[in-house]
Amino acid sequence: MPSKKTLHIESSGQLCIYCGACVGVCPLNCIYLDETRITFDEKICTRCEICVKACPVGAIEID
Amino acid sequence: MQDLKTDVLVIGAGPAGSMTAKWAAKQGAHVLVIEKRQEIGSPVRCGEGMSKDWLPEVGIKPGKWINLEVEGARIFAPNETVFEINEKSAGNEVGYVVERDGFDKALAIDAANAGAEFLLKTAAVGVLKDGGRVVGARVKQFGEPFEIRAKVTIAADGFESQVGRWAGLSTNISTRDMDSCLQYRMTNVDCDTRYCDFYLGKIAPGGYVWIFPKDQGLANVGIGVQLSKITGMAEARKYLDDWIAKHPAYAKGKKIDMVGGGVSISPPVKQSAADGIMIVGDAARMIDPLTGGGIANGCIAGKICGTVAANSVHAGDFSKAFLDRYDRGWRARLEEKLYRNWLAKEKLCTLSDEIFNKLVDALSTVHLQKLSVHNILKAVRDKHPEITQEFAEFL
Repeated sequence: MPSKKTLHIESSGQLCIYCGACVGVCPLNCIYLDETRITFDEKICTRCEICVKACPVGAIEID
Repeated sequence: MQDLKTDVLVIGAGPAGSMTAKWAAKQGAHVLVIEKRQEIGSPVRCGEGMSKDWLPEVGIKPGKWINLEVEGARIFAPNETVFEINEKSAGNEVGYVVERDGFDKALAIDAANAGAEFLLKTAAVGVLKDGGRVVGARVKQFGEPFEIRAKVTIAADGFESQVGRWAGLSTNISTRDMDSCLQYRMTNVDCDTRYCDFYLGKIAPGGYVWIFPKDQGLANVGIGVQLSKITGMAEARKYLDDWIAKHPAYAKGKKIDMVGGGVSISPPVKQSAADGIMIVGDAARMIDPLTGGGIANGCIAGKICGTVAANSVHAGDFSKAFLDRYDRGWRARLEEKLYRNWLAKEKLCTLSDEIFNKLVDALSTVHLQKLSVHNILKAVRDKHPEITQEFAEFL
């Protein structure tokens, strides 16, 4: 299996506006919004990149 | 914090949650509402435009949360031909621009006055299950974990909708059925306080740009873009910034606030109740897929949800079979329109700017007594018969 890409969620507030768009759109329900912190479950995430596109301000990157 | 017990646990103090809490408490249930934020209604994540005809039905009285009452809505084609929808043609669909945080607080106050208790800064982190039945939630308040046991749990946790999913209810949406949204509050703009404005076309693929006036010179300027039409990062922002740059009335404005979020433009969930749990509002994908408005449907369903919750407590029956009264109730009231508008949205998402121009031209030149699918199609046939084929499936 190819190694997984890395997902970066910038949730320090520089980009992220804590709107929850990524949380709601995640088909595996593995992104969590806790006030001003967004985390995701590395093990569940398949890097489908839907959250990258859903983020209105570009706070989620994949490489 | 010690573990708590209640009849009805409502997760999320948005309009649907507070409405559910109010109607359950009014009918004699002990109701506890938890809200993860420290302040109900804030930060605002909303365009703040809403219709008003439904307010008496759910017992909401107009209050200080109304910014202004608009006369109608204007639909702008890509070539900026305008079609005006007013009270006469659209019934009471037009309505208010509101202070959404004030609105949410007013609903919470109504619920509290009806007897509901509120716990702020309290987030659900999981559901409690007994066999297959949901019997409450695991929560954290100020970081401290405890349990709330409930006879009926209500997931009113908005677009993010994790609670329903934890309970095994599917709320997944496809990328065609969601818009990524961004909005600026702008001052020093030339907005018309008589109208809510909507701009259609490839300036906002699969969505629209909205201008909802808050006051003279002050407006919410926002955009929704269909997720399936987004190819890269931060595209909602790029589309909105491009649109503003091309409109001098707004390009000269100053941004004083920014909000973002996801809006579902999907059909509603297939199942809204299971043993011990119901989902309501945005969490149940009750947003109108055509307009993106979720408040009215959330409140209407909330009233039904609260009523069924109280009835189930009185009956001592928290089974899916009992709670399905709620499922049937809100579907009878809302589902037909939700599906109709979803089909309309599916169609509109495919139209080119050229067809949009002709459609709006037909609507603006043919006098419409009442806005209905039949009348719209007739206007199109009279004015631009060449595009009638596009709408054949609605005939």
